[in-house]
Amino acid sequence: MNILEAHNVTKNYAAHKALDDVSIEIPKQSIFGLLGPNGAGKTTLIRIINQIIMSDEGNITINGEKLQPKHIQVIGYLPEERGLYKKMKVGEQLMYLAQLKGLSNAEARKRIKHWLDKMGLTEWSGKKVEDLSKGMAQKIQFIATVMHEPELLILDEPFSGFDPVNANLIKDEIFELREKGATVIFSTHRMESVEQLCDDIVLINKSKKILDGTKKDIKKSYKSGKYTISYKGALAGLSNNFDILDTSELEDGMNESLIQASGVQNPNEVLKELISKIEVHSFVEVVPSINDIFIQIVEGGES
Amino acid sequence: MKQIFLVLRREYLTRVKKKSFLLATILTPLIFPALIGLVIFLGNRDSGGPESVYVLDQTGFYNEKFSDDSYTYTYLSGDLENAKQQFQDEGAYGLLYIPEISFDDASKTFYDEFEFYSKSNTGVNIENSFERQLRNVLEQVKLDRSGLDPDMINSLQANVNLNTYNLSDTGEAQESNSGLNLAVGYIFGFLIYMFIFIYGGQIMQSVLDEKTSRIVEVIVSSVRPFQLMMGKVLGIGAVGVTQLLIWVALMTTLTTVGFSVFGPSAAADMAGSQMPAEAAVELTSTQEQIANIQNLLDSVPIVTIVVSFIFYYLGAYFLYGAMYAAIGSAVDSLQDAQQFMFPIMIPLIISIVSLSMVIQNPDSQLSFWLSMIPFTSPVVMMGRIPFGVPLWELLLSMTLLIAGFVFMIWVAGRIYRVGILMYGVKVNWKTLKVWFTTKV
Repeated sequence: MNILEAHNVTKNYAAHKALDDVSIEIPKQSIFGLLGPNGAGKTTLIRIINQIIMSDEGNITINGEKLQPKHIQVIGYLPEERGLYKKMKVGEQLMYLAQLKGLSNAEARKRIKHWLDKMGLTEWSGKKVEDLSKGMAQKIQFIATVMHEPELLILDEPFSGFDPVNANLIKDEIFELREKGATVIFSTHRMESVEQLCDDIVLINKSKKILDGTKKDIKKSYKSGKYTISYKGALAGLSNNFDILDTSELEDGMNESLIQASGVQNPNEVLKELISKIEVHSFVEVVPSINDIFIQIVEGGES
Repeated sequence: MKQIFLVLRREYLTRVKKKSFLLATILTPLIFPALIGLVIFLGNRDSGGPESVYVLDQTGFYNEKFSDDSYTYTYLSGDLENAKQQFQDEGAYGLLYIPEISFDDASKTFYDEFEFYSKSNTGVNIENSFERQLRNVLEQVKLDRSGLDPDMINSLQANVNLNTYNLSDTGEAQESNSGLNLAVGYIFGFLIYMFIFIYGGQIMQSVLDEKTSRIVEVIVSSVRPFQLMMGKVLGIGAVGVTQLLIWVALMTTLTTVGFSVFGPSAAADMAGSQMPAEAAVELTSTQEQIANIQNLLDSVPIVTIVVSFIFYYLGAYFLYGAMYAAIGSAVDSLQDAQQFMFPIMIPLIISIVSLSMVIQNPDSQLSFWLSMIPFTSPVVMMGRIPFGVPLWELLLSMTLLIAGFVFMIWVAGRIYRVGILMYGVKVNWKTLKVWFTTKV
């Protein structure tokens, strides 16, 4: 079951095409990485999902229903460019944002208390936002995003502005919310957090979708048959399927090489070939990081 | 609608709860009386201590003829050089020199022989006062010499006061008073002008704050941009109305209290019991005057003025408020806003400048057209209404204003929804046009 499906979404601006025929499917309760370099069209897509702007073509469904104003309450959005009313008190501000999302007064009060307790910010409730540190303000912002218990959370660069401790705190919250049934769209160009968090990803570049699938599948499909080995002996007389890309000397007469095995799918076969020639001390298949894939695709797209 | 209301309530409450709002609301009505009081106080103090003026009169006509509250007069004799010396030595304020005047030439009517010396520059008022006194005595002397009968002269003079009336369609004549109409028209026109500046500026500032603090994207994920804009415009408008109502209440209370303590009824009570007959006669005339004022007040169409004021106040606010909102959304800082402020201010300035012409001549072509164009009609029409405006003109002007602000809100909304999400864009009129036509 997909919580959100976008079909052939296209958006034109006066000077350029921001989204070109983009389709995505986001499974329920997944953490979905929306990746792409700056200016690729991520924010445009997010704004369309949030009904801040309208697509020119294509359609979007949420839980199988056509996107419509009532879905505003289903979505929690943390924009990349975010802020709060500086002169407003923390508690009043959260109350205002909660009411805009359709929460009743009493319910909002209960949840604000719960979240401020949880984040250790209870005593700041009566303070103005301008008196808060940046990290605290970010936490308030996060509370405002999740307070109405949205089914779909859209987080645009959620960790920017957080120190590592608080970033972990937020990361744990994201996992916890997912456990409770929320789906998270996670937009970023910081790939290390994608490796940690995401189940599925889509990569957008120059307003086009160029890659999507589960993180596992994508990584598998970008395996290029490279292996790092350390060994004793002379690595020579390998069959034609093997290329030695790089070799360096280690201590105790050991060597390390990066080899490329083409046309050989099974690591065991690679190992078999190697064992017959050298004394293998370590053998690691090189799995590309999402970052590598990202750079490879984006730069490939440039050339 | 609920969203608009939530936005409206926040805009309203955050402003009304501010201490500065309370201060401005309570102090402003007191500022004008205080200023007037200060001016009167300073004016009195200025002419307060009677200064000494020496008079050297060589005609003999002016002996002991000068008198006023501002100066004490000392009459000298001798020649001008001595008088100057004495004036220098004794530090008097001024020396008035009246040389011999020849009356041989009967046709001579212009006299410029008089001289006034002082240490500082002579003010226009002082000069006028001396000239008047010099002239009066001189005229008296010439009259005496002519041998004409003073009573005869008096009986030849005529004073004229023109009574003005408004003739209504039913043929009923009603006394009118241009002076009062003038004041009422100007005050209400000016109030609208002032409110647009104050509250329009607040709208722009508020939109700009949301944009620069980057909260706007959070808000528009819950509220349509148009709802946000309307909530803001309505909320700040409500603050303006609140302030106005408090002022009206304050002034009414102050006036009522003032009248009941120092006012005519209290004076009348006192007169009935204690005052001698002579004063009572005087009092009757003041009562008559009060009755006159009452009549004049009745002649001003108060209900029309109040209703139209509320209408034009709100209409002007929506029209200009929408423009301020659009500008606030388009720019990143107040400095950038300047280039767009100018075209907004021009019609406002035209209104306020032409207002003085309009109240002089409320039925002229200029007055008519300016009171029809929505950009100028609120201020200008308020200037015309006290003089009486044909109903069809009023209705036409109001209809045009409604059409004007509906159109302007529509235009502003289209610019606003794009502008609030744009950062670091160099904005000019062309950009605004592109945004206006953009499909969102």
